[in-house]
Amino acid sequence: MCDQTIPAALEVRDLTKHYAGFTLDGVSFCVPRGTIVGLIGENGAGKSTTLRSILGLIQKDGGSVTLLGQEEGERDPVLREQIGVVFDGSHFPDSLTPRQLGRVFARIYATWEGAYYLDLLGQLGLPMEKKISAFSRGMKMKLAIAAALAHRPRLLVLDEATSGLDPVVRDDILDLLLGFVQDEENAILISSHITSDLEKVADTIVFLHEGRCIFSKPKDELIYRYGILRCGAAQFEALDRADVVAWRRRDYQFEALVADRDTARRKYPKTVVDAATIDDIMLLYAKGEIV
Amino acid sequence: MTGLLQKDLYLTRSSLLIVLPTFLVIGIGISVLSTTWVLTVLSTVMLGMMAISTVQADKSSGWQQFSGVLPLSRAAVVGEKYLFYLLLSAAGLLIGLVVGTAASLLSGRGDLNELGLYLTISVSMALLSGGVALPVNILFRAEISMLGILLAYPLSAGVFILLNLLIGQREAVGVVASVLGVILYTLSWYLTGRMMARRDLT
Repeated sequence: MCDQTIPAALEVRDLTKHYAGFTLDGVSFCVPRGTIVGLIGENGAGKSTTLRSILGLIQKDGGSVTLLGQEEGERDPVLREQIGVVFDGSHFPDSLTPRQLGRVFARIYATWEGAYYLDLLGQLGLPMEKKISAFSRGMKMKLAIAAALAHRPRLLVLDEATSGLDPVVRDDILDLLLGFVQDEENAILISSHITSDLEKVADTIVFLHEGRCIFSKPKDELIYRYGILRCGAAQFEALDRADVVAWRRRDYQFEALVADRDTARRKYPKTVVDAATIDDIMLLYAKGEIV
Repeated sequence: MTGLLQKDLYLTRSSLLIVLPTFLVIGIGISVLSTTWVLTVLSTVMLGMMAISTVQADKSSGWQQFSGVLPLSRAAVVGEKYLFYLLLSAAGLLIGLVVGTAASLLSGRGDLNELGLYLTISVSMALLSGGVALPVNILFRAEISMLGILLAYPLSAGVFILLNLLIGQREAVGVVASVLGVILYTLSWYLTGRMMARRDLT
């Protein structure tokens, strides 16, 4: 499944988890080193369940997870030193200050770099002596990212780390993430609803829908090759189904997702073929009919 | 584990500044009515409860989930709570002993023969109640955890009453209760670590 020429930071095979009313069903994808993989899907698609299974926070019911070359099982502390995690919202005690938090982590992580942590706090404009309870949401997320980076991980896992943040803060965070993968030994897996952020930074997009992995594709292929074909009923009936990935009927027209918009423009000149955003692709897969 | 201990110390530090003066005021009041050595029991229990409160603080802040990704085993994370409880209870015992001794010297009350009994009561109360309250707080949600705390101390007192009925001699009761406390606390520590290792952290 993974490209064997590029070592994988993370390999997920047939990941399965059952809950009452929901099943994560055979999810497989790869996060190569030196890349950013974006995990998308509607609410309840299984993104957080996937991430928690990968991190060992929940017991999976099937499949395998290989993290930084190590098969699952009891995650040994050395492996966890190399994984940085950022959850949605702050998961740190509110009554601590960033400086105190740094002292705590310095005694937990063998690879903790205190000077780098303080430098990150400075870069991100975070006050060291202010209690976390007084931080805004954006400040808490920046702190979480600083703490995740300061022990020099090889893999960063972020679960909705930019949700609820303003564009300026999100831009700061995305810059940090891009800087992180400049080292080609590093990799990032980020789940997000803000697909515009993923369009900026992700190399690969993995789409989960109702507990299944619908696709794992290079972002550039989605952005530069996929298209939305809009036409009337008669033209839609005339479309070659092999050209259509998914479709749905809107009020007065049909929308069809095509994997090659340039070819579609040549083949169906009387239709309108627009570039597709990741949101468009998600909507058609989630709300349309998959061919 | 020292990092986790440091975190919990930061969490309880500001509360200690309120609890200690409160303990002094209440303790002195009670010791006037009873013996000064009751201060050892009071301070041991009060500081032990502060350690238990850090479990709920971790849950409400999301730290309990975050601790699952730290380079520490789940058993170590659980073990830190048990260790922190022991350390704070021991600190409470020491403070109670020092204050009780000072009160005894100043007031001329406080039979030294009773000191041994109250020390064993403090130790056994801490271990018996901690052995119940800690796992309930770690494993269950907040409402059940609160019930666990409310029941843990009366249950410990109940053990004392039962042993007193069976054995009769107060000093022996204290020693036997302490030994039972050590056994229960150790078992509780081991089993809670095992159970948390298998639990989903959500």
